[in-house]
Amino acid sequence: MLFKRVNNNLKYNKYWRKTGKIGYSIFRMIMLISIGYLVIYPVIIMITGSIKPVSAYLDKSIIYIPKEATFEYYKTAVEALDYFDSILSTLIYGIVSAIIEIAVCAFIAYGMARFDFKLKKVLNFMLVILILVPTQMIIIPMMMNYSQVDIFGILGLINKLTGIDLRPNILGTAWTFYLPSLFGVGLRAGMLIYIYMQFFKGLPYELEEAAWIDGAGLFKTFFCIAVPSSSVVFTTVSIFSVVWHWNEYFQPMMYLSSDFTLAVKIYDIDNLLTAVGLYDGYPQYSTKKAAAFLFIVPMLIVYLILQKKFVQSIDRVGITG
Amino acid sequence: MKKKKNRGVYALKARYGYICTFPWVIGLVLFFILPIGQSVYYSFCDVSLSVGGMKINFLGLDNFRYIFLENAEYMDYMAEAVIKFLYSFPIILILSLILALMLNQNFRGRIFFRALYFLPVIAASGAVLNTVLSSAAGGISNINQDESIAMSMFDISEIVDSVGLPQQMSGYFVSIIDGITGLIWSCGVQTVLFIAGMQAIPPLLYEVAKVEGATKWEEFWFITLPMLSRVLILVSIFTMVELMTATSNPVMVQAYSFMQSQFYGESSAMLWSYFLLIGLIIALILGIYKKLCLDRWE
Repeated sequence: MLFKRVNNNLKYNKYWRKTGKIGYSIFRMIMLISIGYLVIYPVIIMITGSIKPVSAYLDKSIIYIPKEATFEYYKTAVEALDYFDSILSTLIYGIVSAIIEIAVCAFIAYGMARFDFKLKKVLNFMLVILILVPTQMIIIPMMMNYSQVDIFGILGLINKLTGIDLRPNILGTAWTFYLPSLFGVGLRAGMLIYIYMQFFKGLPYELEEAAWIDGAGLFKTFFCIAVPSSSVVFTTVSIFSVVWHWNEYFQPMMYLSSDFTLAVKIYDIDNLLTAVGLYDGYPQYSTKKAAAFLFIVPMLIVYLILQKKFVQSIDRVGITG
Repeated sequence: MKKKKNRGVYALKARYGYICTFPWVIGLVLFFILPIGQSVYYSFCDVSLSVGGMKINFLGLDNFRYIFLENAEYMDYMAEAVIKFLYSFPIILILSLILALMLNQNFRGRIFFRALYFLPVIAASGAVLNTVLSSAAGGISNINQDESIAMSMFDISEIVDSVGLPQQMSGYFVSIIDGITGLIWSCGVQTVLFIAGMQAIPPLLYEVAKVEGATKWEEFWFITLPMLSRVLILVSIFTMVELMTATSNPVMVQAYSFMQSQFYGESSAMLWSYFLLIGLIIALILGIYKKLCLDRWE
């Protein structure tokens, strides 16, 4: 059978191989362009829809490019979203905890990937569970615990014995976001640790062993050997973490009571627009699109700057599982 | 002498490992395992917040009886969510695998297309997509300029109707085509993970296959897919969580509205029963997958 196939291959090799190749590359182009259209479609709708005046909606000949553009919707959207204040609170609550998470998860993953210890199997299992269980499942107890922070029941015991309530309420402060990030269990920390681990496993051991023989400790090998040689994985993980924190609406919505982040406001855009006096109708649709575009613009700019690096880093991270 | 020294190195390494993971273990206990336990416990309780703190009364299975037997909507929402999960899950997995295969090849314009297809990673937020696509759906009906994909180019629902399928089937078809943008937009991270996985496959294997005269099709089935088996598990877990927590998920919306009106116990029961059902489905899929593929591959 093998002989037959090789024979066939030789017979038709030149002719069919070439036709097949050209045919396949045309097919690939068509697929990529048509699916690419679907990817870019919401963005096009967002941009063109946000500058459409009402008359353009009534004109059936206009789908994408309106005859005249108007930017008043952006003004309304900035006002309704309280744009710059919300960006500030997104930076404080979201991006800072993303940065903490990027650093802490790298350290944890370094330990998990490079060293053997007894608890490792348990921790590997916990990592899978951490990826598996979404925040939504534990949000209620987290809220309760944050409203009365009680470390291992000590402060609660004091309260019971003496009647003095020492348990602080940190609900609504930035600590609700920083604390889980500091301990490596923040927003999708499981995924970050997993990606880091995959990368660290592939690093050569020789450098570190040489460093140990020369008397370097754990922190020295981590900061002087592991970190400088893993800029690739840091790019991937940073983009993921920052983007996920930027888009996260659920935790801020539950934990905060004012100074909401931008994602919460986009989620709640209907009520916000009603509050500034825009009810159901075409101006509201345009304003919504303007708001959505304003929401993705900062990430879009970051992405356009880092795009080349990100694409290259994907090639080199290498996840084997 | 040598043995002793080695043991010393192992002990040192183990200590380093414990040092690295120590904060994580604390975090896991305080911010993950404990809340999970509490949340499971709350689903059997009546929880209410008052000025002096919270009150927890143990009820037994009352919450579950309420959501399954007395709440009229929960079962419908659950069915809707599970059906949506059942068709989106394979579509997302296969689509992102195909995209990753195509984007991993060498061709002109690859950088452009990669940048394009990674765009959803940046903006993949259900809220944004909902805002953009659903805004025109409830518009003034006699003008009828809908911007969902099913309406934008030609009227797909009419075409599906004219094929003569049963009402239920054509409804699903239209909803799948309508949601195709959403599905493609949720393929971003998965595609990235698949590409990262493919890059980790040693090129040597492909060279050997080429020398042996394997076709591309055989290369895919005997090299790419087996080497991606672990990534596939990661991607399916990630996809499951994404689909579960999507903003448009009716069960989540209902549980969230229960949370807001402070029915914490009922809401916990809802979330856990939904999570267990989806988890069971995933475990079943992965179990079959393991039996059919993993055992043979490894």
